[in-house]
Amino acid sequence: MKGRTIVITSGKGGVGKTTATANLGTALAMRGHSVVVIDTDIGLRNLDVIMGLENRIVYDLVNVIEGKCRLRQAMIQDKNRLELYLIPAAQTRDKDSITPEQLKGLCGELENEFDFILIDCPAGIEQGFKNAVAAAGEAIIVTTPEVSAIRDADRVIGLLEASGLHRPKLIINRISAEMVKRGDMMGQEDVESLLAMEVIGLVPADERTVAAANRGIPTVHDGRSTAGAAFKRIAARIDGEEVPLQQLDARPGMFNRLRDMVGIKGRAYSHA
Amino acid sequence: MGWVVVIVESSMAEAESPPKADKQQPAVLIKGRGTGVAFNLDENAPLEEVARELDCQLAGRSTLFSKGGITINTGNRTLSVDEEEEIRRIFREKSGLKIARFVSVAGVTAEAEADGSALPNAESIGILPLTDAPPTRRTRQNPTPLSEFSSADLARALSGLSSQGQRTRDRALIVRGTIRSGETVQHLGDLVVLGDVNPGSEVLADGDIVVMGSLKGLPHAGASGDNKAAVIALEIACPRLRIGGAEANAPASGSVGARGRKQDNATPQPTIAYTRQGKIHVSPFAGRFARYTKGVPYEG
Repeated sequence: MKGRTIVITSGKGGVGKTTATANLGTALAMRGHSVVVIDTDIGLRNLDVIMGLENRIVYDLVNVIEGKCRLRQAMIQDKNRLELYLIPAAQTRDKDSITPEQLKGLCGELENEFDFILIDCPAGIEQGFKNAVAAAGEAIIVTTPEVSAIRDADRVIGLLEASGLHRPKLIINRISAEMVKRGDMMGQEDVESLLAMEVIGLVPADERTVAAANRGIPTVHDGRSTAGAAFKRIAARIDGEEVPLQQLDARPGMFNRLRDMVGIKGRAYSHA
Repeated sequence: MGWVVVIVESSMAEAESPPKADKQQPAVLIKGRGTGVAFNLDENAPLEEVARELDCQLAGRSTLFSKGGITINTGNRTLSVDEEEEIRRIFREKSGLKIARFVSVAGVTAEAEADGSALPNAESIGILPLTDAPPTRRTRQNPTPLSEFSSADLARALSGLSSQGQRTRDRALIVRGTIRSGETVQHLGDLVVLGDVNPGSEVLADGDIVVMGSLKGLPHAGASGDNKAAVIALEIACPRLRIGGAEANAPASGSVGARGRKQDNATPQPTIAYTRQGKIHVSPFAGRFARYTKGVPYEG
């Protein structure tokens, strides 16, 4: 079976592409798939830090492409010994160090051995974006419910369609149920109508995601993280499973607050 | 932006010559552009000949490679479903190229097709001097940036064509889908968009612009200077509007949503923008040729 190469992109920076890549990669591996995540943000690599693999880097993507090492040598296995590998970006080079065709060739090679190849795309729509997109057969766009992120997502959808990646999927990251309820934040329907695009998942704003990233453990490993649960559901949807989108449910009720304070285990809030 | 890598063989350079009404021109012309590869199929040659030609061309050009989908330009020919499938089959079997779209003059002018009138060829429908691309097109990669784009230039270009009697006001271009940020659609006739026109995009038409959705980009109706053109949309929410030589800014407040979230108080309704005494007015839509008396100036 041939693997699927999926690019995770956004246009705007800082919306959570790298976090989404790390978590979706981990979640797909937890579902029993073999996964490679590739950081194409050459010069500004981050994916290794979020996955907690920074100190294991010996070779990187540019080394592989320049033939300085074998592909397997640059693939770092996940700490939890999942069938999950990272190909880190080079930190001392720039985006022009590789060409779209080279990355396409690399992913084509990986597709023969792995179920999923996730490409973490750099922000922007320049060379790095072109490299990342060229190799992919599918695309996931990460956006936050902010006008600026949505404007950039709109531009990127146009560019993806022009390069033959039709019907990209949309992840709305860092959505706050309470703010949506108050009318201070765009909800799922607002974003869907603005972008005329199918949403594959809503990821709630969750402090635990930040903490997890700082510790280098993707938040899907954290059973209490609402964002982690959302990423697991998105992974299931990518896998072809029918998981209904859960409605955002802000419940700042007394009982829930109390339960949070006391720290009873379990899902304090049910988010989508 | 170089999405497409075309490995050009020396013979391709010859094929690059402009597709004028040259009797000797081959049935299939391959054109590599900055942003895409287009196969122009001769509209007069019989389809079998086109298919045969396509067959040889692809067989001899295994190096032709395109990341993005390619465009098939059929000129005035309207392909039947079977004919289209036949061409798709040839591409599937003979090359790794993916067909992104079929472009034909006929295909985009449904009205003209219906009444069976003779269709103009691709040249006469108007290639804007601004670009070398087909006349009615969506610029995905390289829209002229707003700053470099002078609507006066376009107006001049368009009026030049109009004066030669090549204007095609009766031909509408129908865009099926959303026009997204960074895209430009320009057409020498009326323009109909079956979807939204998103912020950061531009729509330019020599005639009317009709948007069956929310208009948030920059429209310019009557771009050749026709003040009688109109902009009609289910919701006009664009910060600026141009009709003919007139230009207006949206009122500073109101339902015009620079903010992403729709204002709850204003349910959008079909709206028409037109010019009256050189100023752009907007009014609830009541028919294209209704007498509008209660319009309000778009300038706040």
